[in-house]
Amino acid sequence: MIAHGYLILLFPLLAFAVNGLWLARRNGFAAGLFSILMSAASLAYAIPLALEWFAAVHGGDASAPVEAWRFTWLPLEGALKVDFSMILDPISVMMLLVIGTVALLVNVYSMGYMRHDPSRGRFFALLSLFAFSMLGLVIAGNVFQMYVFWELVGVSSYLLIGFWYEKPSAVAASKKAMIVTRFADSFFLLGIVLAAYAAGSMDFSVLNGSAIAAMSREVSLGGFHVNLLFLASLLMFLGGWGKSAMFPLHIWLPDAMEGPTPVSSIIHSATMVVAGVYLTARFFPMFAAAPGFLDLVRVVGIFTALFAAVIACTQKDIKRILAFSTLSQLGYMMFSLGAAATVLGGVNTAAYSASAFHIFTHAFFKCLLFLGAGALIHHVHANELDAMGGLWKKLPLTWISMLLACLAIAGIPPFSGFWSKDEIILAAWQSGHGLSAALALFTGFLTAFYMFRLYFLAFHGEPRGGHGEGHGRHEDPWMTVPIVILAVPTVLSGLLAKDFFHHFALPHQVLSESPVEHVAWLPATAATLGILGLFLAFVLYGRRGADAKAALSVEGRGGWYRLILNKFYIDELYLFVARRLLIGGFAGAVKWVDTNVVDAAVGATASGTLRSGALLRRLQNGNLAFYIGAFLFGILLLRILGRLPL
Amino acid sequence: MHALLPDLVLMALAFFAAFSGAGRRRPNLGFHASWIGLLGVLAVYAVRAFALDAAPVDLFGGAWRIDRLGLLWRVVFTLSALCAVLLSRGNFQRRSGGREALTQPGEFFALLLFSTLGGITVVSARELLTLFIGLELATIPLFFLAAWNKRDDSSGEASVKYVAMGGVSSAVMLFGLSYLYGFCGSLSLDALAVRIAAEPDHALLWIGVLFVIAGAGFKLTLFPFHLWAPDVYEGSSTPLAAYLSVGSKSVAIAFLATLVCGPFAAVRETLTPVLLLLAGATTLAGNLGALKQGRLRRFMAWSGVSQAGFLVLALAGPAPLARSSLVFYMFVYAFANYLAFFVFAIVARSRDEGFSSLRGMSREWPALAVLLAISMFSLAGIPPMAGFLGKFGLLASAASGKNFLAVAFMVLNGVIGLYIYLTVLRSAWVDRVADGEALAPLESGRRERIMVWILAAALLLAGIVPFLSQRIVQLLSPH
Repeated sequence: MIAHGYLILLFPLLAFAVNGLWLARRNGFAAGLFSILMSAASLAYAIPLALEWFAAVHGGDASAPVEAWRFTWLPLEGALKVDFSMILDPISVMMLLVIGTVALLVNVYSMGYMRHDPSRGRFFALLSLFAFSMLGLVIAGNVFQMYVFWELVGVSSYLLIGFWYEKPSAVAASKKAMIVTRFADSFFLLGIVLAAYAAGSMDFSVLNGSAIAAMSREVSLGGFHVNLLFLASLLMFLGGWGKSAMFPLHIWLPDAMEGPTPVSSIIHSATMVVAGVYLTARFFPMFAAAPGFLDLVRVVGIFTALFAAVIACTQKDIKRILAFSTLSQLGYMMFSLGAAATVLGGVNTAAYSASAFHIFTHAFFKCLLFLGAGALIHHVHANELDAMGGLWKKLPLTWISMLLACLAIAGIPPFSGFWSKDEIILAAWQSGHGLSAALALFTGFLTAFYMFRLYFLAFHGEPRGGHGEGHGRHEDPWMTVPIVILAVPTVLSGLLAKDFFHHFALPHQVLSESPVEHVAWLPATAATLGILGLFLAFVLYGRRGADAKAALSVEGRGGWYRLILNKFYIDELYLFVARRLLIGGFAGAVKWVDTNVVDAAVGATASGTLRSGALLRRLQNGNLAFYIGAFLFGILLLRILGRLPL
Repeated sequence: MHALLPDLVLMALAFFAAFSGAGRRRPNLGFHASWIGLLGVLAVYAVRAFALDAAPVDLFGGAWRIDRLGLLWRVVFTLSALCAVLLSRGNFQRRSGGREALTQPGEFFALLLFSTLGGITVVSARELLTLFIGLELATIPLFFLAAWNKRDDSSGEASVKYVAMGGVSSAVMLFGLSYLYGFCGSLSLDALAVRIAAEPDHALLWIGVLFVIAGAGFKLTLFPFHLWAPDVYEGSSTPLAAYLSVGSKSVAIAFLATLVCGPFAAVRETLTPVLLLLAGATTLAGNLGALKQGRLRRFMAWSGVSQAGFLVLALAGPAPLARSSLVFYMFVYAFANYLAFFVFAIVARSRDEGFSSLRGMSREWPALAVLLAISMFSLAGIPPMAGFLGKFGLLASAASGKNFLAVAFMVLNGVIGLYIYLTVLRSAWVDRVADGEALAPLESGRRERIMVWILAAALLLAGIVPFLSQRIVQLLSPH
């Protein structure tokens, strides 16, 4: 079973190939069915494989990666080579199952959601490509393979976010996602090159093991002395920084909502954005060994968690609220990994397993939230809360499921989110990071508030917008069934999987020094804060007589509200730098030379003024002289700047 | 002597093509002879380079050597010429990009073949004079080819600029080579290597090096010797622009690699800053230049400038790695660039060659838009397209020489690179034809359709199954 683990990847790849090359154009419905079939097959293979793996490692060291297969893909220089392999360890197996489940349900859901889209065949092809890339990423046994699939994830998300390429905003969003993540990826690539030459291998087992000692040395970099291990860790982590949309590279994620909602769901629940956290978890032993590195991870994580939660409290577009909540939850996961470094200098592996646990629970309730949001949008044909309200009558099953998911993400016991979030905060507390833990608790309060703000404004109160006509239920079974199915793990996955993560999801090759201090008041505080947030949202938006219109209006708000509503104007800042300085400044200058010096003569010629002898004249019009001058100037420049021993 | 046979066949083919134009009765003879002949020679080179055990053969008193590396370069050159011949066929049959059809196909193909022979001379030469002659033979035919459209003013203008700049660069190059000769007292590369190792700080040597690099920089479109490229690409014909961007560039980088990885290897440490400086400046200039272009060929010229920077970067690594990564990258680059130019040629059949002519392609002909995307993603270096492996090889070569800061700079430049290639895709995928405005429908012939599919398949295949890069690394490794 394990030896043929590649089948998990081959099924979605097959769906992509068949749909993309042939079926998509002929019959979108058949393409969808084929995609569902293939993703079901992939999941059906992954489950027994996971059980077999579990049986094999049970009782032994579960965190040691099991290698399912390996072949050499590309020999580089000397002993340095790139293998393709599949490793099974607690986090990769967990991700295989999560991705398989989410991909299958999103495929089913898309049958309903994309029902009227003429190019849905293409959609299913791309969805399969995305699932394939993500599966390839998590099984990677070395960093190069991970990078290849990492980029494939980027490309397929680019194609999916820009799926409705008739919409200029969708295209702009897909481009933004691609450029921002690619910017971060270029550091990742750099880190790979650096580590490959410093450590002589790209395998995780080496990079997380023997290479740590080899890289723990100072190198001189442009006059500065830096720790090589820290540098390599930072470069690799920057890739994850962008992919997981940590502040300040978070700007692409809210815009990525321009894609069809199932895409938002799959990108934000189990896959693309989690890749950055997954990368950090994969490199955990190496990052933990780099001095002070996990503190950086922790600070980035908790800041993003809080920052995004604040913004989410003011947004009106439900998909954007969910996007910011994703950012916030990703912040939790990152924070948890970072909090593994105890103040005493040890490593608290409980924080690592808490992060993996939160990836697991978050995947289900976030996927449900997005699918539910898609059902709402499908129903009212708008993204804004302005057009919703009182929808519980129209979409009863969606309503119940969404309520469960909101309770889960708000951290109300006994729903899944409570358990994983509690583990994170507990681990941070145990590691001695009191302030960060307090901030995480406060973020939990904000989470409950903004999620229930969304919930009350969407489902309760008077219907706003013109969807009041018609009676009875308006639910599409293709869409409702996945939502209801997801409600099961949303409620139960925390309670049931708690012990599994606690005992098995531990980092390999890391000795834990976790202080087993039990903090009984922490879960109670977290739950109380969650309920407080819920209650505050109820008072403001949910109770009878609450004025939803006024609550959503920007009129009469102070400067702080506007600042937060506009996401602290960070997008505008980027736009200014990119457009004004880079494109407008440098490229404008180049363009000016190109038009006024270079093109001038071509333009003159094109107007047909060429007579005999004019060629000679053109030789003297300054144009060619400019070129030759530049040529000679270039030689001089090389002589001076090239530091030649002349 | 039989090792020389394919080269001689190629030369005979060039003469044959030149004279085939004289006979009026068979107007297609030159074309068919050229492409079939090139295909045959390409097959022979490929088999000898990849499959057979080719021990180096020294001829003409050691002035001419046929070795593994030379054979691999020959495959690149003939592949590029073959694509150029197939691409240019359409320009003789009908108007293209709003310009008159070209005439005199026989002579056109003959000059392309002579230019290819020049490249072969460069990679075989073991002494400076032959090297220089090869480089000139590779360049001079292109002066004529740039002016081929005699009735078109901009074509004449392009050619004049090209000739004038080419003249300056040849002079500079010859000046540099003469200093190297003066320094060494011999024309042989082996003697030069010995002499450089003995006296690495001699001023004569470094004057020579400086001027030789500047001269080669012109042909490779390195900043600031690149200014001619956008004009010449835009003014000449599509197939010539394609050949300039691939064939001519691969000859130039082969020339530079011959020297830098050969006799100059002893002074690589000193030479590295110059190379890195050129690489960084060139890629940045190319990227910025390409940002705001509206003409396709002009865009490709700037894109070629940007790519040239990456080529030079690889030279900063150890010789075996630099060589193998360059050869592989030129294969990939040939696939990607010719794919783009074939697509542009299809567009130019009925339209002007501007970005605006790409509008609506995703609706009119989705497959073509996908193929264009494959080409652009490969040029941007995104997996699984072969361009990624190619770029990674170039970066790995430079990193292996411990030039991490330069690698970092180039990798970051790749982000702007991605942006510029996305602008092409935006035109093809997003921009729509305004209401009331009609673009002429896209047309294509069977030859173009077959070629775009073959090239795209090659790009994907070489990226996913790395047999090609693997084989090249294996063949060129010193053991």
